[in-house]
Amino acid sequence: MRLTARIALIVGVIVAASTLPAVGQQGPIRIGASLSLTGSYAKLGSNQHEGYKLCERDLNAKGGLLGRKVEFVVYDDQSAPPTAVRLYEKLITEDKVDGVMGPYSSPVTEAAANVTEKYKKVMVSPLAATTSIFRKGRKYLFMVISPAEGYLEGLVDIAAKRGLKTVAVVNEDTLFSKAAAAGAVELAKKRGLQVVYQEAYPKGNTDFSALLTKVKSLNPDVIAAATYFDDAVALTRQMKELNVNPRMYGVTVGGDLPEFYETLKQNAEYIYGATQWEPSLPYPGQKEFLDAYKKEFGHEPSYHSAAGYAGCVVYAEGVKRAGSLDSDKVRETLLKLETRTMFGDYKVDGDGFQLAHKMALFQWQDGKKHTVWPDELASAKTRFPTPSWTQR
Amino acid sequence: MNVVITPAMLGQVVVSGILAGALYAMVALGLALIFGVMRVINIAHGPLLMLGAYTTFFLYQALGLNPYLSVPITMLVLFALGALLQRTLVFRVVDAPELSSLLLTFGISIALVNLAQLAFTSNLRAIEYATGSYTLGPLAFSKSRLIAFAVAAALTGLAFLFLQRTRLGKAIRATSQSREVAMVCGVDVRRIHLITFGVAAALAGAGGALVSVIVAIQPEMGQIWTFKSFLVIVLGGAGNYPGALLGGILLGLVEQIASLFLTTQLSEAVAYILLVVILLVRPTGLLGGRQT
Repeated sequence: MRLTARIALIVGVIVAASTLPAVGQQGPIRIGASLSLTGSYAKLGSNQHEGYKLCERDLNAKGGLLGRKVEFVVYDDQSAPPTAVRLYEKLITEDKVDGVMGPYSSPVTEAAANVTEKYKKVMVSPLAATTSIFRKGRKYLFMVISPAEGYLEGLVDIAAKRGLKTVAVVNEDTLFSKAAAAGAVELAKKRGLQVVYQEAYPKGNTDFSALLTKVKSLNPDVIAAATYFDDAVALTRQMKELNVNPRMYGVTVGGDLPEFYETLKQNAEYIYGATQWEPSLPYPGQKEFLDAYKKEFGHEPSYHSAAGYAGCVVYAEGVKRAGSLDSDKVRETLLKLETRTMFGDYKVDGDGFQLAHKMALFQWQDGKKHTVWPDELASAKTRFPTPSWTQR
Repeated sequence: MNVVITPAMLGQVVVSGILAGALYAMVALGLALIFGVMRVINIAHGPLLMLGAYTTFFLYQALGLNPYLSVPITMLVLFALGALLQRTLVFRVVDAPELSSLLLTFGISIALVNLAQLAFTSNLRAIEYATGSYTLGPLAFSKSRLIAFAVAAALTGLAFLFLQRTRLGKAIRATSQSREVAMVCGVDVRRIHLITFGVAAALAGAGGALVSVIVAIQPEMGQIWTFKSFLVIVLGGAGNYPGALLGGILLGLVEQIASLFLTTQLSEAVAYILLVVILLVRPTGLLGGRQT
């Protein structure tokens, strides 16, 4: 009898101890995420991580969330989707985090979203831009940045307004770039431009001689390239080498990095690039964000940093308005939420697919990125047309 | 969508293919040497090339050294690194079954890439030098690729002279033909292994120095070179050194011509289909490999 009582007491204490933080709501709100801190997306994933860290700091400076401190639990998925799957499982089932935030990139999000859906966890995924991820009936996934299909809209729009007629579209054969290229083709046709050539090349390709030889023979007015960094650099260098002279040439990803200009120097002049966000865009809270970021990390934020920060702000707003961490309640609020952060507008449809955020188009002018599209955000006029390589 | 392919366009891609091919040949020669002499398949060959590219980059950045002048220095650095790897790790698997050497060099490859990531970060770097091209009629010769071709051709020629004419080179070939007989004839096989790995790493390093002006430099740039080098030596005949030269030029041409007539995407497939066909028709490679 006494033994039974003692066991009962011990069990009781253990149960009480393990449920105490949940019942008492005393501990911090823990938000889990897996990020690409090493591997091929390391640089971009680390920028996103800094966005999360700054958001955590700013939330806590304003008294936290629902009166509790906020704490990020971040693991490294080495840029590998299967690792991210394992880490989200661990975050949700072992670490029992209160909420999750998205990883870096479309492929990793695509994989990780299966886990968060399984456990019905709301996941704001600030760096997934591929439409298909959000069109699979997932209920708890939210998009922050503009979809891949819209990346080259600015380039096509300017080309159409300037009366250009023909466009060649080239892309890396990966999820995001394919979608961006398909979007460009679609938009070009809609605007009456003729798509004279389209070709995909494999990831890691750095020799574009044959592709550009074909493009050159068609002499298109516009070359729209759905790229990452390495291929954008190689493509540009070889365009110069083979003297390929479109009147406009634009890239998707990579062209916005400072390294793009450092690498290509004056050869990057006149090149257009699509961007989700630029520090110069006149959004509310932009200056405060830039100052705080530079002070905290000692360098300028990239759009990955800004999207990470904004995604976290959106999630926090959802929790605040729902007044709860409950997934279904937060989901309801996020579906209805319309807000503007330093990253731009946020509003999603019933699938969590982003509708309001706008892409911008910049052009490299005298070593600086100047926003040239859309008109209401533009900080400079386009330098049009792009002169031929021999006339620079 | 319909591109009419003119002779000038074909000429252009043949030029590009030969320029690329010489570089493939030089890098693959390193892989062929190690395989020939030690029967070790060096998966870390591409990452060694990556380290060569970084060496050139840092010499350029810190000292402003012309990337082409740094080729000898990069080769020396990589020679030392290669010899060190052989001395500490690779010698352990020379007599082991081939799977062991595959595992070991695979491990070295992962370690090198990740160490590079830690030490140099994944920031993308590049050397902006010799951009643009020389033109000859309708043909354009990319400056950086033309110089890479010339240097690679010269280094490959030197490597052949070294193998054919010098005592050391002969000892290397002797070891490659029969280790036991070479040993009986008084060749210090351990030393030959050390030098072979060093020379192979130096060739990869030279490749790295040359591509550092062509493509962006980052820790994962090397792996694709391991694959290409494999393809080259299997095409030409594993362990057959002139075969690497033929295989390199062939791969360069096939890639480019397939890209022209089909798509860049399919060119890789064509290269590997060619590999399968050659393995079916001539399992020892075009020039015949060494029989085991």
